[in-house]
Amino acid sequence: MDFNTLIAQFVSGLSVAMLLFLVASGLTLIFGVVNVLNFAHGSFYLLGTYFTYQLMQMFNNFWVGLLVGVIGAGIVGMVIEVLFLRRIYGRDQEGAFQLLMTYAFILIIDDVVKFIWGPEYKTIPKPDALMGSLNIGTTVVPTYNVFIIVVGLLVVLFAWYFLTKTDKGKMVRASSLDRNMLGLLGTNVPMIMTLVFGVATAMGGLAGILAAPLRTVTPGAGVEVIIDSMIVVVIGGFGNFWGALLGALIIGEVLSFGILWMPELATVLTFIVMIIVLIVKPEGLLAKKMVGRK
Amino acid sequence: MKRKLISLLLILAVLAPLTAVYGAETIKIGALYTMTGRGGQYGKDSEVAIKIALDEVNAKGLPGGAKLDVIITDDKNPQYAVSVAKRYITDEKCKFLFGIISTGIGLAVTEVSKEYKVIFVGTDHAGTDLTANKFQKYYFRTSNNTFQSMMAGAYYLKDEVKNWKKIAYIGPDYAYGRDQLMELKWGLDKLGVKYQLVGEYWPKLYEPDYTSYITAIIKAAPDILVNGMWGGDTVSFIKQAKPYKLFEKMKYFHVDAGGNYEALAALGADMPEGIIMSARHHNNWPETSANKAYVQKFYKAAGRYPSYAAEGAYVGIHVIAEAIRKVGNANDTEALVKAMEGMKIQTPEDPPGFISYIDPKTHQIVQVQAIGTTVKNDKFPPAKYMLGNFKVYPADKLWPSFEYIDYMTKVKGK
Amino acid sequence: MKKLKDYLPWIAYFVFFLGILIVNPGTHYIHLVSRVIIFSLYAVAFNLLFGTTGLVSFGHALFYGIGAYITGMLVKATGPEYFLLFIVLGAAGAAFVSVFIGLLTLRLTGVYFTMLTLAFAQLVWGLTFKLYHFTGGDDGIQAIAKPAMLTGGVTKYYLFSFVVVTICMYILWRIRKSPFGSVLNCIRQNPQRITFLGLNVYKNQLKAFVISAFFAGVAGGLYAGLDGSIHPDMLHWPTSGNAILMATIGGMGTFFGPVIGAAILTGLEEIVGKYTEYWSFSIGVVVLIVVLLFPRGVLGIKRLAGNKNKEEKETEVVCNS
Repeated sequence: MDFNTLIAQFVSGLSVAMLLFLVASGLTLIFGVVNVLNFAHGSFYLLGTYFTYQLMQMFNNFWVGLLVGVIGAGIVGMVIEVLFLRRIYGRDQEGAFQLLMTYAFILIIDDVVKFIWGPEYKTIPKPDALMGSLNIGTTVVPTYNVFIIVVGLLVVLFAWYFLTKTDKGKMVRASSLDRNMLGLLGTNVPMIMTLVFGVATAMGGLAGILAAPLRTVTPGAGVEVIIDSMIVVVIGGFGNFWGALLGALIIGEVLSFGILWMPELATVLTFIVMIIVLIVKPEGLLAKKMVGRK
Repeated sequence: MKRKLISLLLILAVLAPLTAVYGAETIKIGALYTMTGRGGQYGKDSEVAIKIALDEVNAKGLPGGAKLDVIITDDKNPQYAVSVAKRYITDEKCKFLFGIISTGIGLAVTEVSKEYKVIFVGTDHAGTDLTANKFQKYYFRTSNNTFQSMMAGAYYLKDEVKNWKKIAYIGPDYAYGRDQLMELKWGLDKLGVKYQLVGEYWPKLYEPDYTSYITAIIKAAPDILVNGMWGGDTVSFIKQAKPYKLFEKMKYFHVDAGGNYEALAALGADMPEGIIMSARHHNNWPETSANKAYVQKFYKAAGRYPSYAAEGAYVGIHVIAEAIRKVGNANDTEALVKAMEGMKIQTPEDPPGFISYIDPKTHQIVQVQAIGTTVKNDKFPPAKYMLGNFKVYPADKLWPSFEYIDYMTKVKGK
Repeated sequence: MKKLKDYLPWIAYFVFFLGILIVNPGTHYIHLVSRVIIFSLYAVAFNLLFGTTGLVSFGHALFYGIGAYITGMLVKATGPEYFLLFIVLGAAGAAFVSVFIGLLTLRLTGVYFTMLTLAFAQLVWGLTFKLYHFTGGDDGIQAIAKPAMLTGGVTKYYLFSFVVVTICMYILWRIRKSPFGSVLNCIRQNPQRITFLGLNVYKNQLKAFVISAFFAGVAGGLYAGLDGSIHPDMLHWPTSGNAILMATIGGMGTFFGPVIGAAILTGLEEIVGKYTEYWSFSIGVVVLIVVLLFPRGVLGIKRLAGNKNKEEKETEVVCNS
């Protein structure tokens, strides 16, 4: 196998991984801090895309669309957290109710999108500056895929800085460890939760918008990404931000080289990886804490 | 006095609908279409085409002044679709089952049609099974099956594409994708074409990201890449493959659903020029008045141009109306089946001098297949490219092929 | 008097499911009620895990689907004579698979368990697509014949389903009333206590998991015969979600709640689907209302005032004394 092919396949895997990471990191953040399994996370991916589409119809500028789409997804996320999810925190069997409630939002948001924008496929063109391709040796890499990788890395860097170097970031980490203690210290815990929920859903929206010029914008697109991102979260360790990154990289690259060497198995490869990880380390590779038997 | 008046009114109110029923019988057709998710556009387009066809049919009139009416329900999944189909038959007294996008659901509903002896007109799902190994006599299909597309494709590869040997295939990992490859291989073997299959790629249906498949295909370096996706998957694949210059490195061949209008529309200027595609109906071919009138009617009704799915539904309604006219009523199912077997019907996609017909043995509509390449054409916005340079394959060369049906029965069982 | 009150739900059950035959509302409605009774078994079996033991499995479609596929494929391979046996084999197959999945997933708790069950179900769902020559892939399997005595008219198959489901329900009911059932109840309410009592939480949860999978498999096998066709959707996550929905809508804290949930969900799907293509929006809103306003389900409404029912009190006594 020549070196160029390996590089090309690696870069493909990387761009797949970054989009996965953007969805999965929001999912894992919500789980880690707010303690909600947001099954509807894909719907924010979908909403972000449609907000951007709408803005581009009006202003025909990708960057404006991107900004508004990200903020819009975040705002809808916060509204849902405040008006609905907050009411079921701490209930018996909360996990099941979270599942049902977020499942309800998948159903509702999908239909609302269809009602407003219709069932036909929408297009969001790439910004002109990112149209072409780069040549690395004999390997062709589309500029846009490089852009996605760069954005993914920027998000990682920013998150690292925020979570480890700033007071607010430390508070967020603390609230995932001991919510009651933080509340006793006078921190507005519900506010932190709402904000984290907003940031995480905004990241879901960002993933959707970044993916839109490469993918098909249609109702139902959100459901298509949610299962894959859940697998990423499972592999990386629930609630662990860096786990989501590691999980996404593993899935992206395993899939990418799997397609090269054994394409027949590609669709089940992700599951096989997941099961191996689970047998070896059931709580995920970078679990926040041990979650073994009580 | 007042009381009498009220009771008189009451009696009238009860009788009014009755007289309406006796005055002009309404013949109900129970349709099932996917209305949500990625297939939703096909369902919505079919709905529009059904309305157009109903207006035409009812304006022309049916025996005894009867009217056709269609009920449409979102089919969701096979389990639910079967339940609705049974309700249509036993509760709503529908005389026909109609529509269905997904072959899997079509296969489940054809069992209901068989059990209750009610005619089922399939308008969109393309799995060859229904008119081959899973054939039952109450089933009819008014759009072509994947075998017809792929057989035409095999002719195209033999006659129109020069100097190739290696092909690779990418298609969704479910029956529709698998069948197309099986059919193309069978067709090429049948025509004595020598080829080498250098790669098979099976992404899942609705896979959002094909990047890694694209680089792997480029590595495999086939002369021709055959694609078996539909709808949004086609859009994603082409968008992602273009900047990798895949279309400059190999011929791209996508003849069952590649050239569907909704994909052309969604891709717009992103569509590469000169790739080989086809669909089950083209908005710009044939340039007959019938096709133009149909497309314009649709545009007027919906504000957008139709995807191919609409034409199957449009033809299906006309086939049913024609059968009722021949028989004189909608109650004699066996006579209706007889009337539909071998029926000739002028459809929008018929070129001059050809009339589509329903093969009496398999109940599959037999139509001309036209394969083209993408050329710049903005007469059907938002599409920027449409198909052109059409090569036309005569219908009777493509179906029925009992040899293939035997082969398929052997591979897939009854 | 106490006795009679205990058996009241059973009486209602018989009155409804047998009464429907006397009323005889037509073929379509008998088919609809056949679906309700099969889903009831699926939901009640699921609720042994969910409502009783407190484990939120989001992969129960797996066992329902395995039951259906084994039954359907055996009928296709050999013929319909041993239909009932094949249903049992399908259920046994589901139970067999559940042992391995249970061993792996029950090592985790809470949401972690939920996610893992989902992942396994999705894996098998993916495999049914993949093993196209074996399972028929997305096309599913059609024309699954029924034995001669069950063909012709939907009523015969309905009666057959009724008998099978009722037997299974009775067994599940006995299990829930048995000491083992109390142990499961305690596991939900106070798992530490179980450990103090010298019992093994893991082993008992696994038992519940396997039993629940077995009866979900029976339901799947029955459904294969009802429509004569099966397809991978039966293994897909919305089918798993439906189990949670049915149990919650009806009342997860009760034995018969899931039956009512199954009836409501099936009826809702029927009515909403009939009048609007925006069914998913409508179902979503209903789920939201249930989650926010009726968390204890239809059968739990009357207990909102905080008086726990007798059963709960009893187990609480067992758990905490």
